[in-house]
Amino acid sequence: MDIGKPKRIIEIEPASLPVPGEVVPDAEPSLQPDLAPAPAGPQQRTP
Amino acid sequence: MSRSASTLDGLATDVASEPIVAWRAWALTGHHDGTNLLLRPVAKRARTWRPREIVEASCRTVRWHEAPDRDCTCGLHGTHGLEVLRKTKCPAVLGRVALWGRVIEHEHGYRARYAYPQRLRLLCQFCFWSSGVRRPPPEHVGWFPRDELMPLCGDHLSIAERNGVHPRLLLPADEVEQRLRNTYAVDRLAV
Repeated sequence: MDIGKPKRIIEIEPASLPVPGEVVPDAEPSLQPDLAPAPAGPQQRTP
Repeated sequence: MSRSASTLDGLATDVASEPIVAWRAWALTGHHDGTNLLLRPVAKRARTWRPREIVEASCRTVRWHEAPDRDCTCGLHGTHGLEVLRKTKCPAVLGRVALWGRVIEHEHGYRARYAYPQRLRLLCQFCFWSSGVRRPPPEHVGWFPRDELMPLCGDHLSIAERNGVHPRLLLPADEVEQRLRNTYAVDRLAV
């Protein structure tokens, strides 16, 4: 298929992807406080 | 929305935040019962377009550059209009396709890094070659060995059979098209 000579380059970064179920990831993902990992503590051994 | 950014390799470079939507044709494969429908580039060796997944271009001739490269023919193709597509070999599906990432615009179309179909319809390739999209949609889909699917109108099915081309099975085109649109989660192309 002949689409002729190149004319210009376009760099496209869409805000939302035109694909079902696809989401553009946040540049800086953040954890909600209740989802943040718990501080490390002494491990309990299961009897 | 786009703005002019710079020049790259002698070509003006713009930046945009909305995908380009262009025309494209595909070949179609599927099982004899109309399941496992897959869009395929009309170039036989190129990779399948998997449903609900971003399609990413790669170059099969020169592996050390990213597709699309300015001095190559690689990339996911789309066209400005339908006339260029009427020269396509064995099209079975016509549609609108979203293109993004690095997109090289040509005189009659585009080559892109990423793509996904937006609207689809089946085509009788013989009607498309002779009359564009003015003819009614195909009524049948012929199933051939290697899972090749060929949509055909009634007239061209008769001509094919008179010339010794006999599909192993015939499926109703409207059901195959509906299943194809559900598979890719896209709307019908209204032309």
